[in-house]
Amino acid sequence: MSVPRARLLQLMEARCKLFETTFNPDGIRAGNKILRQRLKGPALAGYYPRRIWTMQEFQAEFRDLHLLVDDEKELDRFEHVSLLKARGKGAPKKKNSAPDHKKKK
Amino acid sequence: MSMFRAKKFDLGCFTNIKIIRDHSKRKAFEAAEPERQALRYIIRNTTLPMRTRAMAQLQLTQMHCYTRPTQIRNRCVLGGKGRGVLRAFKMSRYNFRMEALAGNLPGVKKASW
Repeated sequence: MSVPRARLLQLMEARCKLFETTFNPDGIRAGNKILRQRLKGPALAGYYPRRIWTMQEFQAEFRDLHLLVDDEKELDRFEHVSLLKARGKGAPKKKNSAPDHKKKK
Repeated sequence: MSMFRAKKFDLGCFTNIKIIRDHSKRKAFEAAEPERQALRYIIRNTTLPMRTRAMAQLQLTQMHCYTRPTQIRNRCVLGGKGRGVLRAFKMSRYNFRMEALAGNLPGVKKASW
């Protein structure tokens, strides 16, 4: 007992309709596999952890509660800079006037 | 390509220029992904006229290289290394070893039998 091809196609069409797949009996390459793919951008963009807050923002959160948060890194830096200045090795002072451009010869 | 870089620094891990660059590429790809997929669909669709498909091919190849997913490389979030990075931990093998031995990775234990 053989089933005619037209009948099989009808079955296939009904199946595609039921399971919401594309009915493509001739196997034409319509690029649907691209549309079926999920977007992977959000997963890729979330690879590196994002910065949640800066120390300044963290301190600002506690300012309303009258609490002081020490930024230890910044305090260390200030100490380092003050030591440098005590030795006379600090950054030079800013000039008031713009520096003269050297003439090209 | 500084135009893809975030205007405000937004990374919370170890940072060097390679990490910043890779992060920018990831974000550029995320933004361009729907457009890329649409173009890829047009290219793969054999029912469309050949001219349209060729135009789409050209358009896809002329998109900026930062929007290409092949430009993205997983780097170590602790040291920025690009090789020997364990995908599950986002760490290079040496950093992974150090963290695992220090007990910072839950469930990871040195094998011994």
